[in-house]
Amino acid sequence: MFVHYLDLGWRSLRRTPLVSLLMVLAIATGIGITMTSLSVYHMMSMDPIPHKSTQLYHPQLQTMDDGEESWSEDNLPYQLTYQDAKNLAESEFPVNKAAMMRSGFTLHLPDSEVRPTIENTRITHRPFFALFDVPFVYGGPWTQEQAEAGNAVVVISSTINERLFGGADSVGKQVYLDETLFTIVGVTAPWQTHMKFYDVNNGAFNNHENIYIPFELIEPMSIDTWGNTNGWKFENIRSFKDKLASEVFWFQFWVELPDQQAKQRYEEFLMAYMAEQRELGRYNREQLQFGLRDVNSWLDYRNVVSEDNQILVALSFMFLAVCLANIIGLLLAKFMRRAPEVGVRRALGASKRQVFLQHIVEVSLLGLAGGIIGIGITHMGLWGVRISQEYYTPLATMDLSMLLAAPVIAISACILAGLYPAWLVCRTTPATHLKTQ
Amino acid sequence: MLEIKPIFNALRRSKVGAILLLIQIAITTAIVSNAAFIIQDRLTFLQQETGYPEEDIFTLSVMTFGKDRDLSQQFEQDEQMIRNLPGVVDAALTNAVPLSGSGSASGMRLTPSSEQTDRNIRSAYLQGDDHLINTLGLQIDEGRGFRADEVIVSQDRSQISNVAVVTRTFLEEAFPDGDGLGNTIYWGGAPMKIVGVINQAKGPWLHDSRPDNLVFMPTVRAANYQHIVVRTEPGQRASVMRSIEDQMLTAYDKRVINYVVGLDEHKRQYNASDTLMMRMLMVLIVVLIAVTALGIFGLTLFNISKRTRQIGTRRALGARKSDIVRYFMVENSMICIGGLVIGCAGAVFMGQQLLTHFSLPALNPWYVVMTALAVFAITLCAVILPARRAANISPSVATRSI
Repeated sequence: MFVHYLDLGWRSLRRTPLVSLLMVLAIATGIGITMTSLSVYHMMSMDPIPHKSTQLYHPQLQTMDDGEESWSEDNLPYQLTYQDAKNLAESEFPVNKAAMMRSGFTLHLPDSEVRPTIENTRITHRPFFALFDVPFVYGGPWTQEQAEAGNAVVVISSTINERLFGGADSVGKQVYLDETLFTIVGVTAPWQTHMKFYDVNNGAFNNHENIYIPFELIEPMSIDTWGNTNGWKFENIRSFKDKLASEVFWFQFWVELPDQQAKQRYEEFLMAYMAEQRELGRYNREQLQFGLRDVNSWLDYRNVVSEDNQILVALSFMFLAVCLANIIGLLLAKFMRRAPEVGVRRALGASKRQVFLQHIVEVSLLGLAGGIIGIGITHMGLWGVRISQEYYTPLATMDLSMLLAAPVIAISACILAGLYPAWLVCRTTPATHLKTQ
Repeated sequence: MLEIKPIFNALRRSKVGAILLLIQIAITTAIVSNAAFIIQDRLTFLQQETGYPEEDIFTLSVMTFGKDRDLSQQFEQDEQMIRNLPGVVDAALTNAVPLSGSGSASGMRLTPSSEQTDRNIRSAYLQGDDHLINTLGLQIDEGRGFRADEVIVSQDRSQISNVAVVTRTFLEEAFPDGDGLGNTIYWGGAPMKIVGVINQAKGPWLHDSRPDNLVFMPTVRAANYQHIVVRTEPGQRASVMRSIEDQMLTAYDKRVINYVVGLDEHKRQYNASDTLMMRMLMVLIVVLIAVTALGIFGLTLFNISKRTRQIGTRRALGARKSDIVRYFMVENSMICIGGLVIGCAGAVFMGQQLLTHFSLPALNPWYVVMTALAVFAITLCAVILPARRAANISPSVATRSI
């Protein structure tokens, strides 16, 4: 029966090629425009680490004096001071926690003719790799002993490994970061997350850093940040030492708290820590305050999804509504003109339900065609996005869910549009139309 | 004359089609007027005057890893070398690149104390030697520029220059009474006397709350990661940009030159998301209007074929072709005006929603009016062709099937 309906639908569409084409084009452009903005939105708002996003938390500490204002909506500073980052990382609970910041070095090989390159570098604690499940091709993270001894050890990405060593196992080999010789302990595999969710300060959709070195090297090597530094009071910072002891914020911090109990324990720990620091003369305020957000609420809090994109998604769905109104109008006209034919079919014994279904199948066919052409239009749109804004390149793609969503949205939209016209046409009484034949 | 009453009655009998058309026109008006307003807003933003000859300026970044030379001295030599290159007008070190989206800003105060109660004026600052202002292609419009002997070359952060050149906007915000030139501002407690004024120069962030506030300080603090800005003769930029890396590495090779980028490219990258938004909205508007117009076209075509006999009868009874055309025009106009009224209200409502939920300026009502007129014109155009075809229906059609 379904095949028969398909056949009837196909014949009917072919009988009015211009109108069919108009309808398919309307639904295709509607889907194309909607899916373009929706795909970008989908990538922007996608959970970057689904299996762990509810276990990873970013703590915030209110270190500012009473009455001082920050930029954030709840007045908590986004980042931590060096002192707090170091202290929180030294606590015994929980196991997996890491402070981090972005810096950069020139990278070159000893005795090499290759020109040195500048590489963004993440300075972090050893558990970073376990926290975020960073995959390795060769070796692994540096050991705690190496970090504490202040050894110059480095983890490089497979991109760098490919460029410098042709992809061979480079563990144990040495590279220069600026003028310091570092020993490679691990090579990371390409990281399958499109978002730098752990540090959204300088753009959440930039590439991951290609080099990782221990946090413990910050003091001996005087490594300053390439990311954001924010202060809230005037401090006479003359040297790097002054900066380490100051109240300026420049560190990100993540902890893994596997369950509610652990979270509660950590909250108590943070309160105790702040009280202890207040005793030491910091945290000059009445009410101690902290923040503890998991990955998705953190991204939400930091407004990772751009406002423009939200506006575009809203507008494009309204656009789709216009396309639908358009299609309803055309379907109505088309179906009603066919009422005499339906009258004959009804007289020959077709039930209302059958007539209704037949017309729904016909509009689904329209939706399918529109959806498929719509995917093409979406790809054109995303291509336009990519050439307009390089930064969006990792976002302007259709993943499988979006690819499937396109025809599903198109077909359901068409069925929605076809409901009323189909219902109207199946109500036709056979007698009236048979009379005029 | 316009036969509004009978047309209206006829419409009431085919409500659904008319309502659908009305909805389409309403939503189209609401979307187009808001989108057009956002486009205009972005266009003004993108085309704003920055004060720099962007096509003649480029910047490069230098990351020095060699520790065997004094940075300040090395860069002093580099500046000299670049200034002497053929095609180069001037060159200078700078702590930040205007229009690039990265730089430094601070609150400048009018008194030396750092009390919270004091007024402080947010401003970006650029630090460089006495060549910096000229390198950026800026002119001192009042007062004077920096003298070579005022430039402080030091790695020590506590040494701060005691003179400053500021933009007009900053001067007027700091000293609204007009006595700014020669007066003193304080940066972290250190006094700086304003010696010169530049009419226009944008800071590093065009999206800043104070994009026009910029303070120049004659301080050179050579850094491991250092920006250099270069201005060339018109048309010479590309060739200088191509050779600069080799020139710099020949002078000293324990460093990496990267990010050799024109100032216009800096601006383009910073503005990329606004350009993107504008383009997407433009596509949206064009396609939306096309879809709506095609929809009206198709629907009228169908209505006409449905009413072939009715039209034939009217023609047989003496209606002229122009009467038939007018009938469809009036019918469509009635629906269209209804849709436009709803659409205008919708546009204003949508504008308010966008205003409350997003950081967009308030919708200018003129955009709604202009959009409504444009949509009206376009719907009329979409109807005229099918209406003409209807008018050509021969009266004999009506008689044939009786």
